[in-house]
Amino acid sequence: MSVTDIASLSEARPKGDSLWMDGLKRLARNRMAVLGVVIIIFFILVAVFADQLAPKSYEAQVLADNNAAPQWVIDMFPVMTSKADGGYVTVSNDYILGADDLGRDILSRIIYGTRISLAVAFVGPILALIIGLVMGLIAGYFGGIVDNIIMRVVDIFYAFPTLLIIILMMAYFRGSFNESSSQGTFGYALYMADRSMGGMLFIFIGIALTSWVGLARLTRGEALSARQREYVIAARSIGSKERGIMFRHVLPNILGPLIVAETLTIPTYIRYEAFLSFIGLGVNRPTPSWGSMISDGSRAIASYPHQAIFPAIALFLIMFAFNFLGDGLRDALDPRMRGVE
Amino acid sequence: MKRRTLQYSRFLALLLVFALMVGVVSAQGDRKVLVDAGNAVGASDVPTLDPSLATDTSSIQVLIETNPGLTRINEVTLETEPSMATWTVSDDGLVYTFSIMPEVPWVKYNAETDAVEQVLDENGNVRYVTAEDFAYGIRRSIGGQLGSYYGGIMASWVVNGDAVYAGELPVEELGVEVLDTYTLQITASKPAAFLSTIFGMWQAYAQPAWVIEEYGDFWYEPESFQGYGPFTLKEWIHGESITIIKNPFWPGTENIPVPALDEVKMMVLEASAALANFEAGAADVSIVPLSDIDRIQADPVLSEAYYVGPGSCTYIYGINTAKPPLDDARVRQALSMSINRQALIDNVTKGGQQPAFFFARPSLAAAPHQEDYPEYVLGEDVEVARELLQSYLDERGITLDQMEPITLAHNESEGHARIAQAIQQMWTEALGITVEIQTQEWAVYLETIKSDDAPQVFRYGWCLDYPDAHNFLFDVFDSQVRELGINWNNEDAAEFDSLVEQAMVEPDMQTRTDLYAQAENLLTNKDAAIIPIYYYTSLNLTQPWVQRTHSQFGQEYFEKWDIDLSARP
Amino acid sequence: MGAFIVRRMLQMLLVLFVISLFTFVVMRAVPGGPFSSEKSLPPRTLAQLEAKYNLDEPLVMQYIHYIGDIAIPHITENRLENSVLNDYLINIYIPVVDRTFRWMNFGPSYKSVSQTVNSIIKDTLPVSATLGIGALLVALVIGVPAGIIAALNRNSRWDYIAMGVSIVGVSIPVIVLGPVLRYVFGVQLKWLPPTGWGGIEHIIMPAFALGFAESARLARLTRASLLQVLNEDYIRTARAKGLAERVVVGLHALKNAMLPVVTTIGPLFAFLITGSFVAELVFGIPGLGKFFVTSITNRDYPVIMGTTLLLGFLVIVANLIVDVVYVWLDPRIKYD
Repeated sequence: MSVTDIASLSEARPKGDSLWMDGLKRLARNRMAVLGVVIIIFFILVAVFADQLAPKSYEAQVLADNNAAPQWVIDMFPVMTSKADGGYVTVSNDYILGADDLGRDILSRIIYGTRISLAVAFVGPILALIIGLVMGLIAGYFGGIVDNIIMRVVDIFYAFPTLLIIILMMAYFRGSFNESSSQGTFGYALYMADRSMGGMLFIFIGIALTSWVGLARLTRGEALSARQREYVIAARSIGSKERGIMFRHVLPNILGPLIVAETLTIPTYIRYEAFLSFIGLGVNRPTPSWGSMISDGSRAIASYPHQAIFPAIALFLIMFAFNFLGDGLRDALDPRMRGVE
Repeated sequence: MKRRTLQYSRFLALLLVFALMVGVVSAQGDRKVLVDAGNAVGASDVPTLDPSLATDTSSIQVLIETNPGLTRINEVTLETEPSMATWTVSDDGLVYTFSIMPEVPWVKYNAETDAVEQVLDENGNVRYVTAEDFAYGIRRSIGGQLGSYYGGIMASWVVNGDAVYAGELPVEELGVEVLDTYTLQITASKPAAFLSTIFGMWQAYAQPAWVIEEYGDFWYEPESFQGYGPFTLKEWIHGESITIIKNPFWPGTENIPVPALDEVKMMVLEASAALANFEAGAADVSIVPLSDIDRIQADPVLSEAYYVGPGSCTYIYGINTAKPPLDDARVRQALSMSINRQALIDNVTKGGQQPAFFFARPSLAAAPHQEDYPEYVLGEDVEVARELLQSYLDERGITLDQMEPITLAHNESEGHARIAQAIQQMWTEALGITVEIQTQEWAVYLETIKSDDAPQVFRYGWCLDYPDAHNFLFDVFDSQVRELGINWNNEDAAEFDSLVEQAMVEPDMQTRTDLYAQAENLLTNKDAAIIPIYYYTSLNLTQPWVQRTHSQFGQEYFEKWDIDLSARP
Repeated sequence: MGAFIVRRMLQMLLVLFVISLFTFVVMRAVPGGPFSSEKSLPPRTLAQLEAKYNLDEPLVMQYIHYIGDIAIPHITENRLENSVLNDYLINIYIPVVDRTFRWMNFGPSYKSVSQTVNSIIKDTLPVSATLGIGALLVALVIGVPAGIIAALNRNSRWDYIAMGVSIVGVSIPVIVLGPVLRYVFGVQLKWLPPTGWGGIEHIIMPAFALGFAESARLARLTRASLLQVLNEDYIRTARAKGLAERVVVGLHALKNAMLPVVTTIGPLFAFLITGSFVAELVFGIPGLGKFFVTSITNRDYPVIMGTTLLLGFLVIVANLIVDVVYVWLDPRIKYD
């Protein structure tokens, strides 16, 4: 830590900005990370303008066109042969990426499905980040018995099989809070909220409940080590209050590593959504999500590979983007990576 | 096909070095080992092989081969025929006397010698299946306090059965009597046309008392299992497969011949995994995944192997008739009439199912056929459906928008989801109503639909236990049973009960059928308390070298199958 | 070190106890019971079943009995009634008193009637562990070299290719990769049996399907860790001393860079054992994952409890082993 850094701390606001600007500059130099950002922005736009972009409705069925595919898709997958060639696939160029088993446009469903996948990518992690940050800071700040209790809770959650807790919680939420919950109760409010979100609320809660643990641990560790750093000691020596130190100095410094860690876990959450769909605890139908499209399509992969492959490509792109962004952010923001170039 | 394979090889050989390893093809020699993929036992472990506790099709599939009952159902005609016994019935229809086939030995597979051996008693004599063994099985099912579901079903048909089941009377008081070594007499509590079938069900199979006493809860694991049928248990890898082996001591009868197969390996597989095995030539029989039916039907090889026959279940939508707007028969009729069942079958379920307007499957004894009773069939007519709904709305003086939204619930499964979504759209298009689909996990769903607060419309299915209309109409909807509670209007409920109760004891087949037809009329037409959708079919794939029969009731009789080894690659 | 391990073990007991309590409460709060079926059980049948499994007791007593059966050792007759209620994990014959010491009865399965939690775990854990080891090997063999190549050629074409391939891995769900592998290698090429368990040929596809995704994680971790180590002073010193680059990287950097990788292997292994549900279903493998997921849908309470505790135990032990290995790898770290 250089002298100038310590000097800057004596000001009312820490110059975190320059640290962030510095990071952003690094990020901008990382071509893959920039590509990641571009892809994410692209998908955000797709999600926002889904109504304008989607060529068809995501739920309207044309039963006669069930499993239809355009000619180019049939040519792409050697297993598929069109009815005209003695095969079984209904050819319809009305559907750019083909139709699913109920004759719904796959492209439109992917476009609308972006909303769910991005929500899973952002809402779950943000919830986890908030819980983890608060718990971690409390533990790191108060120390002693509070720290001990929180860390034991973290230990317990850490040893808990994540998937099991999600499945169990989902079964509990879905089973206990349903239509029959009496109106006006908390359960009914939760159920209605979940229903209006297409069944996503409980997925978010499940993810948040299990994922804050690692972040809390990380936060506490960073907070503890930050307390020993020169700039904190310096701040303390000039009379800053402990709480002020925690939130003004420590928090901005550990936020970087936390965001990096969380960005790197986002693909895991997206995979959870797919897994939950596979075991029947995903979003409510007919709301499309990439996870549910992939899991439904995977069962037909020998006959209609396009139904799983196209949403899987979308999933791949977003995971690709988040992975490279996460790597880029780490390289750019993690102070320990400074000067590597 | 060849060219395609070549393309794959070029591309993938580069990527994956480990693929050089070649799968070991196990040498079967000239033994006839049939591999069944997911068709006989489905996708999860067989729960039990205890005849007293079995409730599911896969457990019963194994038991039906290892421990045949006193009587059994012919898999093609669905008639009840002699199995381990022939029988006579007293004139009042209450006393059943079974003459059991003499000198059929109990057998056991010995893993060390890889052979099936006869079981000897403590004096070194061969143990034969006796009336005592059957009596023991029945007494254990009804009076063993085991929580036996089918023991409970049978209890209501045997003298003192209910009291013995409840533990109020000692098991000796049960109306089951051993007259001599090979003669068993069962006294029924009331007469019914289908009692000979009930007494042949698995809860009444012969059970080896000496094994159960020694091995307790674990007696039917392969180490200790004893059977006497055409096959016996060889191996059971929980969650993977269960294998039965030919019993060389089975004498063979007209109905249950000596098996031609040496072994049947029933693999626990999910449908698309099963199909992969079939296509790879690693399985002789396979279950059919819904998603692949189109391809199978178009494929020159697979289409030859594909079989569609009658199944054993009916698919319906149940209705909570207490919840508005479905508390009015017109709305229920409108919903039923605006489902295009054939379109649903052609585009969604695909397995050649039959559109259903009655609940009881036509293959059941005494079940009315819907084509014979056109006046009782609600039918499909979108125009009439709209009028019915409109007259309901007019009567309440509300518009369609003011009508309560309808929730359609199903348990989570891809197949049910497809059907629900297709029907949701049909209703919305035909009637303009809003339908919300609700999915629940299985155990929660069962609790929901059986509560008073069941969703307005919910998926339901019923499969036969014994092939008689009674098993559908009485066992599900009679108010004594209330398997599925229906709060329809009281007069019709009482009339329905009296119809199915009359039909239960009525000896004349045609009269029974007429009674059931009237009951169906109330249930599916006049009150439309349920919406029948289709009769299941049974689908499977069979390799060309397998000669087989196709069962209509859920289990196969492998002793009637054969493999042509010269035709097998 | 010994004291440290003992302390961690004691902590583990506490953690497992809380896990069991939490799981018990949530599991029993979920609607639906173990004996629900399409054909509803008459009350008299249900009553018999509940009496058999002691489900008619108050919930608190059920929990106390459950924990008691596991925790309290019993000295019993040598031969017990053959009942699913009597299956102990540990049975030791004591010759002096001619009795048997028994401990840890995790209860019966309500669904697989002749099975107990102990017998299910005995059958399936070896299968899942074998698959887990296979997947871990795939992950290590692909992931670590890819990470090293990427780190040594930072921001070059090789870096992008290695990272790109690893991201392909992490992005394809097993739900898709599994059936594709099965179809291509099992059905079309017939190189491998499409499903089944028993031989080495059965492990290849599922291990790859599971391990490929994890190799990506390892590759990225290895890369990041190695980059960080390469920047440390002692590596600069080694370089400055004129040591060959191969020696610097191979001897000094790699050993230290592996620290965080080792940290993840423990939990990863535990995850692979539990996370194999999809692979087990796709490849027809009789592993733990299937029982673990279906026990929840079946409300098979003892199996839910048993598998949760087992997995919790595995995670804790894996982490403990990691901590011990850590000390061995990095002598600067000390536990007291």
